[in-house]
Amino acid sequence: MLASVQSANLVGTTGRAVTVEVHVGVGLPGFTIVGLPDESCREARDRVRAALLSSGLTWPNRRITVNLAPSGFRKSGIGLDLPIAVGVLAASEVIPVAPLAGFGFIGELGLDGSLRRVAGVAPMVAAMHAVQPAIIPVVPVANATEAEVAGNGEVRVVSTLVELVGILKEGLPWPTPPPPPIGPEADIVPDLADVRGQPLAREALEVAAAGHHHVLLTGPPGAGKTMLAQRLAGLLAPLDAETALEATMVHSAAGLALPPDGLVRRPPFRAPHHTASLVSMVGGGTAAMRPGEISLAHGGILFLDELGEFPPSVVDALRQPLEEGVVRVSRARATVTMPSRVLLIAATNPCPCGGGRPGECQCSEPAKARYLRRLSGPLLDRFDLRVYVDRPAPDQLMDGGKGEPTWVVRERVAAARAHADRRGHGANSTLDIGMLDEVAPLSPEARLILRRELDQGRLSGRGLHRIRRVARTVADLRGGAEVVTERDVVRALYMRVDVLKSAGCAA
Amino acid sequence: MTPSAIDVASVVALSGLDGMTPLRLRMLVRRHDPQTAVAVARGEAADSVFVDHLVRSQLRRPHRTDWQRCWREALDRVTVGARYERFMAAGVGAVLYGDAAYPECLVEDPEAPSILFYRGDLDVLDGRRVGIVGTRNATATGRRLATGFGLGLAERGVRVVSGLARGIDGYAHRGALAAPGGGAPPVGVVACGLDVVYPREHRDLWAKVGECGVLLSERPPGTAPRASAFPERNRILAALSELVVVVESRSSGGSLLTAREAAKRDITVMAVPGSLASRASEGTNELLRDGLAVPALDATDVLVALGLDTRRANRRRFDPRPPLAAEERALFDLIGGDAVTLEELALRSCQELVDVALSLGRMEAAGWVVRSGGWFEALPAPSVVPGPPPAPWS
Repeated sequence: MLASVQSANLVGTTGRAVTVEVHVGVGLPGFTIVGLPDESCREARDRVRAALLSSGLTWPNRRITVNLAPSGFRKSGIGLDLPIAVGVLAASEVIPVAPLAGFGFIGELGLDGSLRRVAGVAPMVAAMHAVQPAIIPVVPVANATEAEVAGNGEVRVVSTLVELVGILKEGLPWPTPPPPPIGPEADIVPDLADVRGQPLAREALEVAAAGHHHVLLTGPPGAGKTMLAQRLAGLLAPLDAETALEATMVHSAAGLALPPDGLVRRPPFRAPHHTASLVSMVGGGTAAMRPGEISLAHGGILFLDELGEFPPSVVDALRQPLEEGVVRVSRARATVTMPSRVLLIAATNPCPCGGGRPGECQCSEPAKARYLRRLSGPLLDRFDLRVYVDRPAPDQLMDGGKGEPTWVVRERVAAARAHADRRGHGANSTLDIGMLDEVAPLSPEARLILRRELDQGRLSGRGLHRIRRVARTVADLRGGAEVVTERDVVRALYMRVDVLKSAGCAA
Repeated sequence: MTPSAIDVASVVALSGLDGMTPLRLRMLVRRHDPQTAVAVARGEAADSVFVDHLVRSQLRRPHRTDWQRCWREALDRVTVGARYERFMAAGVGAVLYGDAAYPECLVEDPEAPSILFYRGDLDVLDGRRVGIVGTRNATATGRRLATGFGLGLAERGVRVVSGLARGIDGYAHRGALAAPGGGAPPVGVVACGLDVVYPREHRDLWAKVGECGVLLSERPPGTAPRASAFPERNRILAALSELVVVVESRSSGGSLLTAREAAKRDITVMAVPGSLASRASEGTNELLRDGLAVPALDATDVLVALGLDTRRANRRRFDPRPPLAAEERALFDLIGGDAVTLEELALRSCQELVDVALSLGRMEAAGWVVRSGGWFEALPAPSVVPGPPPAPWS
């Protein structure tokens, strides 16, 4: 007897529809899985058998062949337990074959027959929908919300295999999905009001959020770099529908906890430690190609604390994904493309000893040179905003008033974003060079100042374009004036300090 | 021959002997009157300490020439009188240490030459004197500077003392001679006989210095230039100068010896700073770095150091930078002597970051502040005021 069950598999952050065909026929008792299964699929075999037996169902003592179609790509066993079990039950005529047609099954079985949460349900459901738009996903209870978000809103949940057999065989009603836990609208993002002083860094964060400019904070330990970086996420607007779905897919694929309603709406904030490996940052690894940190931060913020301590190879690998907004991971078996549109914020000490003020540094020359070499070159070029963050003055720490709270700044940022959206060329940081004269025309005084910087050799051609983009954002924050003025340019300039020179003992 | 003429003839004869260094000559003539000194040199007053010392030194170092024998033979061959004849024929004057005509500025010197040959007017030495020395392989800039120093000083009545060598020395005198309306007379101190022109291409200059000022040497006429004579000449040059200016010098240049001789005598040394890339300025830059010399940028700096130009001394120098507006001046004062960040300055001045940045941008363009990385520093007026004289030579 033959049964065919719809399911899906996960590669990277995208799902692929898989049809699980099960044949139970005469021959020596046995259980084989074909169709490029990987190691975890073979484990599925043992789990399914134990689950069926402990659920009080009979295991057909006949020859069982499971085919995973299409056979062109390697399948991981994640989520295939349930469809295989359902297929075996149908093929051995425990349950009827006909009602299976409209459903797609995803879930992992425990040995007791209970269904467990699976990572990547959202992209898998989306993949099944792409193939068969009317399909209704059947998932474990814990995956209900993400399956709902990724599909057309209709979802069935089951908690045990016995329950499912009851529904399919005896026509019992499907249990209703549990209501999403109603938590407080958790705005756990720390508030900018906690930051005392630091006017320059605050301004840089505001500009970064408004124009999607990457920021580098340089300063001695204890200056508050990390504190500032954590507050950048709060300044970003909630994700738009498309980005939210993309982010949800990534988070789901990585098995991260999703927000109660299933959709990642707040910009994510990822802060990998500097010992992170290249694969953990970019993605890849297992056959399923886990998304890296840069994809997990998609739509939100990637914070690299102690940038100088990251291995240069890791940091360099981020350059191309930062430019393109997607990361392509190629392995012998598969190539996956994962989204990686992030706002990068990095923090670093000016040198290993952290001495900031000129003449204060105590590092040996070779140590400093080694440190700066890690920071130098094309990487620093990615940062439109590079500000020096000094330790705040004692009176500011003790007696200074609270700074502007996040929500005030966020409103200004949203207004500035609206100006950029009205122009319709995307975020200011990605403005095309050819568009600059049209979108960000310079006033004569502003032109003069840029001219002076170029003459001094402090600005390269590329630096000039970056300054003009930042100046455009500054003008947007000021009210979206057509012409970029002298003041806008000056602000852009003082937010792009040469980090290498401000390091320690440079005269 | 008058008694004094016989004395002069004796010292002339002695000074012309091979191996008769200024030190040996001084030892001879300070202990004995000139005629006895000749006898001692011949070994006829053999019990003298001086000759004993010489003989002993020969015993210790047998490869050394037996000077006493050499000298006896030399003095036998050419009589004292014949030496004197030759010197008279060269048209050169001579003064002995202790004579009334002996230059006053050298009398006090511990290493004063026992005899000075001169051509020209010795009275020229009564006046302000500044030595200008430097490398023979001068750069174009160095030559122009040397000329400028010579001219500027001569114009203000300062005698330029120099060695008439190639390069800086020559150009300093050329500049001094070029002073309009005839400036202060030049003073040339040479290492060879006054009738031997070295280097040859300086024949005209040589003649002109003797004509307008004075040429000095401690070697009798006919003495050819020898390497060892130049450092000895340098000591006279330094001793004659109230202040020595080194225009350009390599790190192992003879001008550094002059500077050292000057420092030994508590004479101020000034050096002209030069590019780090120029080999010709290595020595001068080292002098400045080691604090052995005060920087001199032009003749006025030297005049100020001599106390001749009071326009610039003890007063704020002219600041060529465009003046600051009131609020910029306030910012400038707030920066003080420290490096500050933009934020600090905004905090101190209670202004917005943009306004401070705009002001700093203007001040930077005008040369009032300098920016490195995120730090701003206030700049002093462009050129350097000559400081106090350097610490004594240690």
